[in-house]
Amino acid sequence: MAPAKPISHFFGKTPLARRDALYGYLFILPQMLGFFAFVLGPLLAVFVFSTQNRSLLQPGITFVGLANYERLLTKDPLFWQVMGNTLVFAGGLVPLNVVLALVLALVVSQKLRGIVFFRTLYFVPVVTSAVAWAIVWRFLLQGERGTINQILTMIGIEGPNWLRDPGWAMFWVILTRTLKGVGINMIIFLAAIMDLPGELFDAASVDGANGWQRLRHITLPLLAPTTLLVTLLVMIGSLKVFDTVFLMTAGGPANATLVLVNYIYMVGFQFFESGYASALSVVLFLITLGLTLLQWGMRRRFSYNEQ
Amino acid sequence: MKSAIHRMPVLATVVITLILVITACAAPPVIEKPVIQTQVVEKQVMVTQVVEKQVVVTATPAPVPTKAAQPVNLRFTIWSSNEKHLAMLNGFAAAYKATHPNVTVQFDTIPFADYATKLAVQLAGSNPPDAGWMPESLAVPFLEAGAMNDLGPRVKNDAQYDFADLSKPAMSLYLKGDAVMGIPFSTSPHFMYYNIDLFTKAGIDTPDKMYANKQWTWDNLAKAAKTIKDKTGVFGFQSVSAGIYKEYLTQSLAEFTRAWGGDIWDAEGKTCLLSKPESVASVQWYYDMVFKDKSAVPPGEEVDFFSGGAALRPGYLSEVSRLEKATFKWGVIRLPEGPAGWSSVIGQSSIVAFKASRNQETVIDFIAFMTNKENSKTMAQFFPSIRKSVLESPDFLKANPLVPADMMKDHVVPSIANGRLLPTHTNFEKIRLAITPIFDAMWKPNANVQTSMDKACEAMKPLLNK
Repeated sequence: MAPAKPISHFFGKTPLARRDALYGYLFILPQMLGFFAFVLGPLLAVFVFSTQNRSLLQPGITFVGLANYERLLTKDPLFWQVMGNTLVFAGGLVPLNVVLALVLALVVSQKLRGIVFFRTLYFVPVVTSAVAWAIVWRFLLQGERGTINQILTMIGIEGPNWLRDPGWAMFWVILTRTLKGVGINMIIFLAAIMDLPGELFDAASVDGANGWQRLRHITLPLLAPTTLLVTLLVMIGSLKVFDTVFLMTAGGPANATLVLVNYIYMVGFQFFESGYASALSVVLFLITLGLTLLQWGMRRRFSYNEQ
Repeated sequence: MKSAIHRMPVLATVVITLILVITACAAPPVIEKPVIQTQVVEKQVMVTQVVEKQVVVTATPAPVPTKAAQPVNLRFTIWSSNEKHLAMLNGFAAAYKATHPNVTVQFDTIPFADYATKLAVQLAGSNPPDAGWMPESLAVPFLEAGAMNDLGPRVKNDAQYDFADLSKPAMSLYLKGDAVMGIPFSTSPHFMYYNIDLFTKAGIDTPDKMYANKQWTWDNLAKAAKTIKDKTGVFGFQSVSAGIYKEYLTQSLAEFTRAWGGDIWDAEGKTCLLSKPESVASVQWYYDMVFKDKSAVPPGEEVDFFSGGAALRPGYLSEVSRLEKATFKWGVIRLPEGPAGWSSVIGQSSIVAFKASRNQETVIDFIAFMTNKENSKTMAQFFPSIRKSVLESPDFLKANPLVPADMMKDHVVPSIANGRLLPTHTNFEKIRLAITPIFDAMWKPNANVQTSMDKACEAMKPLLNK
């Protein structure tokens, strides 16, 4: 890593260094222009919008200070329900996804005949269209005619109307979302497992460690940075979820699966209240940022081999 | 050095989070949506006479001369992607260009499910559409936002246009004092489609026989639906556009509550009427079909009338084209009578000029051209017109090749003449989304309909007009 320079030295001390620096900045200019125009600009705009009362339909814009935040904290009971749903969703998805990805990676890292087939199999949902995935699940989970309930009927169980029951609907949204995304995390874990130094395992075997002990004391600690990365990605993804919910339940039944991004969409693009929707987006941003920083801060505690 | 390294991950985290979150918040999530049935997107077959009619479309000379030299491009938003609708609309554009060589009109399709959202975004953006279709459910909020332009001065002072020919009750949404904020082009009543094969299999009278015997009531419909379900195993009834559990809740509620003498809210949009005994009785009637008789399609079930999954389904006339390739015999008839008599429910789509347009004069003139007598007749092959001269013409009865002329005469024309518009409201979307969770909670066995309707009214209260 290059040592950090004081601002005054940004363009270098000598003419040559300055010219080099200039070329460097010119090279990154196109990328930075795009970043400022399409990422940083809209993000800052969202902060500004969140202090305004503005509607997509009405022409007038008025500055309202923190009124939108006051509204979401004190006057919008649906916001708290949505936050609760988002928490349940993330709280269910993150552990399920990370643990399943790790287990699958450990299984498919075995050198067995035909293992490539299984690796591919678990990866297939990742490359499937999210829309098709959600709609097919909606069909499977129908009340009477759904495949799952028909199978249950065969063994004498009368299944509930899965997606119309508030508790079950959230469960299935989490599960289908996990199955859709677990493959990519499995691949990340698999790459890390393949990269683990073999001599540590040989040494442990010589010392008499059994399979469980090797997993517990070598594999898992060495995988800690990867686990952190995967957890971070899944967590941010879980806060951003939109399509699965939108297509499977549309936030229902009775708002039981209405999560933050779906609520932002509803307020911004069905009620056209851009100002309030922006305030909600800022809340999403701050939560994501906060949780991410927290995880970075905690990384030393369980990462053994980070330089 | 050490502190710089220490800070880097924090900085990186902030940047990564910025990027990831912004993709969630700043941009509207663009996703494909399942095709949702709307009232005018269906395929229709045109008979040859109609095709000929299209060719003879002529442009009435515009009283307001457009600046000849300046090329003008008009963008017109619609929600139909039906090739035949587009061919007809492009025919209007071509005919207009013949007399106004500088004007090019482009029709932009936005799927109905996204229409409100995308239209609002486009109108707020830097390239707003000049004109577009407007469904009745969006009309009030868009009107109150002042999004539309007055067409009155152009259409009222043109003798050839014959403004008096437009049915005024059908235009009530758009007449604001002297101003004319839109021209309805499709006034489409709800009808009942039925699967004759299933009635025959169950050994009961078909709806047209019930109608002839003056027994075509919602109660008898429920009995027929139960018999069909019991004898054939196929659902007896499916709600309009298969959407009572989703975005067509208010459409179904309007059908039922009004036939019983209730409604969702009153004409002023001030009072909730769902908890009225009549409205409750009508919702209870449907509820019992689903959970007692088990004859209506329950929530969460993916079946469809048009592929033979149900025996009866209300729908729009334009949906008849979906039956072109049906493998069963079918019929279509007016909605049945309820305890309060017959109530025809109509959906309405209009053409409006947007205030955001930079070509006000031209676009208003084009709308006047599109909705003149001759072109209204052409449009009536797909969309029931509000022009008396069109509705009364014998051509209209023959306009749709799939529907026999006497059916048009006995059911379509009176349904339009006696129809009441679906409920509209400034806060329509908010009300719909406020009551949907309450209905969601009610759609399960052993629910109390009265309590749910009380709750729905409670939820609606802050959103109704003061």
